Amino acid sequence: MSKREIVRTQGVWKTYYMGSEEVHALRGISISVEAGEYISIMGPSGSGKSTFFNMVGGLDKPTSGEVYIDEVDISQLGIYELAWLRCRKIGYIFQTFNLIPVMNALENVSLPMVFAGLGADESRDKAAALLARVGLGDRLTHRPIEMSGGQQQRVAIARALANDPAIILADEPTGNLDLKTGREIIDLLTEMKEERNVTIITATHDHKMLAASDRVIWFTDGQVTRIQNREDLDIRVGTIGGAEEA
Amino acid sequence: MSSEHRLFSEDPSQRKLSLPWGRTVEMCWRNLKNRRGRFLLVFLSIAVVVAFFVSTLSYHRLLEELRGRDDVHTRAVLERGGVLSHNPEADRKHRDQMVWLLVLSGMLCFVGVMNTMYMSVTERYREIGTLKCLGALDSFVVRLFLLESVFIGAVGSALGALGGFLLTLFQIGVTLEFGLIGVGHVMRTLAQTAPPAFAGGTALTVLAAIYPTIAAARMKPVDAMRVEV
Ligand SMILES: Nc1ncnc2c1ncn2[C@@H]1O[C@H](COP(=O)(O)OP(=O)(O)O)[C@@H](O)[C@H]1O
Ligand SMILES: [Mg+2]
Repeated sequence: MSKREIVRTQGVWKTYYMGSEEVHALRGISISVEAGEYISIMGPSGSGKSTFFNMVGGLDKPTSGEVYIDEVDISQLGIYELAWLRCRKIGYIFQTFNLIPVMNALENVSLPMVFAGLGADESRDKAAALLARVGLGDRLTHRPIEMSGGQQQRVAIARALANDPAIILADEPTGNLDLKTGREIIDLLTEMKEERNVTIITATHDHKMLAASDRVIWFTDGQVTRIQNREDLDIRVGTIGGAEEA
Repeated sequence: MSSEHRLFSEDPSQRKLSLPWGRTVEMCWRNLKNRRGRFLLVFLSIAVVVAFFVSTLSYHRLLEELRGRDDVHTRAVLERGGVLSHNPEADRKHRDQMVWLLVLSGMLCFVGVMNTMYMSVTERYREIGTLKCLGALDSFVVRLFLLESVFIGAVGSALGALGGFLLTLFQIGVTLEFGLIGVGHVMRTLAQTAPPAFAGGTALTVLAAIYPTIAAARMKPVDAMRVEV
C-alpha cells in the first residue's frame, strides 16, 4: 500500500503584531504527515502548538509558508471551498469542548451533517449511532450543561467524526479533564483512528498522550526541535509513565 | 494511488454547503427559548416605545377628529377634559413638541436595543467561531442572527402595538369618556397608526443587529473563538 501525504507544511511562519512588538509564534515549520498517522505535537505552553493547529485546520492563515492538505495549497482555496474543507474533511476537537450550549448532544453531532446537506432523519440516525459508539447512547437529549467534561468531549469527538473527515485536529483534548477521563478520551481517539483510518493530529503538553502516537513532533519556541518515531518512544514513555505512577 | 481517495477529487459542484430554512428557524427558536432572559429586555424596550408611539399618535388623531365635531355634548366633554382647542397656534406647537418627543424616544430605544443586540451577538462569538469550524458559511451566521432579530423586533413591536391600543383606550377613558368614541372607531385609527409603528420597531431592531452580526460572521474562526466573554 502506498503512503499518502495528507498534510504537509512548508516553512510556515506566523507573526503576531502586538503594537510595535512582533511575536513569532511559528518560525518556519516544515513537517509532513501520512494518512492514517496519529501525530502528537508536544511542547510547553506558548510554543506555538495551537497556532500551528489553526494553520493546518484552515482556521487562520500563515504569515508566510504553505500548508498543503492532500497536496492542495489551502491558501489558494476560496471562502466557500475552505468552509467545505472544514465541514467535510477536517474534524476539530478543542480543549474547551466548544459544543453549542443550546443544543443537545444529538443536535450538536448532527449540525455538521446538516451543513453538508444530509437530510434531517439521516443526520439524526447517524448522530445517534456515533453517540452510541462513543458511549453516550443514553445521553442523546442531554445538553452540554447536563454532562460532565468527559462526556462533552465524547460528544465533541462524535461531532468531529460526523462527516467522516480525513483528519482530526485535537488541540489539548484532555487539557480540561482529570487523569482517568483524559486516558479514556485518548483511548477513544486511538480506537477511532484504527476503526476509521482517520489521521489524527493532537497538540498537547501532556505526556500521557504519547503512548498512542505513531510519531511525536516536539515544538520549542515556534520551531520543531525533535521528531520521534514510535519505536524510539516506547522506552521514554515507559520511564515517564513509571515515574508518574511511582 | 487511486484517485478516489483524494480529498479534492470530488466534482467541485458536489461541494455543497447548506442550511435549510427549517433548520434555521429551529435553531433560532432554540436560541430564543434558552436566552429568553436576555431577550426579554429587548422585547420590553421595543414594546414600550412602540406602545408610546401608537397611543400618542392615535390619541391625537382621535382628539383632532373630536375637535372637528360640532355637537354640544362633545364640546362639553372636551372642555371638561381640558383638551378643547381655543388656539390653533398653541395646538401646532404642542404637536411639534410631541413629534420631537417621539423622535427622541425612538432614538433612545434604538441605542438601547442596539446595545442589547450587540451584547447578545458578542457573547456568542465563540459559538459563531465553532459554527464556522463545522462548515458554516458567513451567510449562515448572518441568516441565523438576522432571523432572530426579525422575530424579536416583530414580537416586541406587536406587543407594543397591543399595549398602545390599551393605552389609547385608557387615555380616552380617563380624560374624556368612552361613549364619545366607539371601540370600532379606535380600531380604525389604530389600523392607521399601528402598522407603521410595527414596521418601524421591527426595522429598528434588525438594523441594530446587522452591524455586530456581519462583523461576527466575517471574523476568522480563530479570532471569534479566542474572544472570552
Ligand atoms: N492572537 C494572538 N495575538 C498575539 N499573540 C498570540 C496570539 N495567539 C498566540 N500568540 C502567541 O503566540 C505564541 C504561541 O501561542 P500558542 O500557539 O497558543 O501556543 P501553545 O498552544 O503551544 O500554548 C505565544 O507566545 C502566544 O502568546
Ligand atoms: Mg494551545
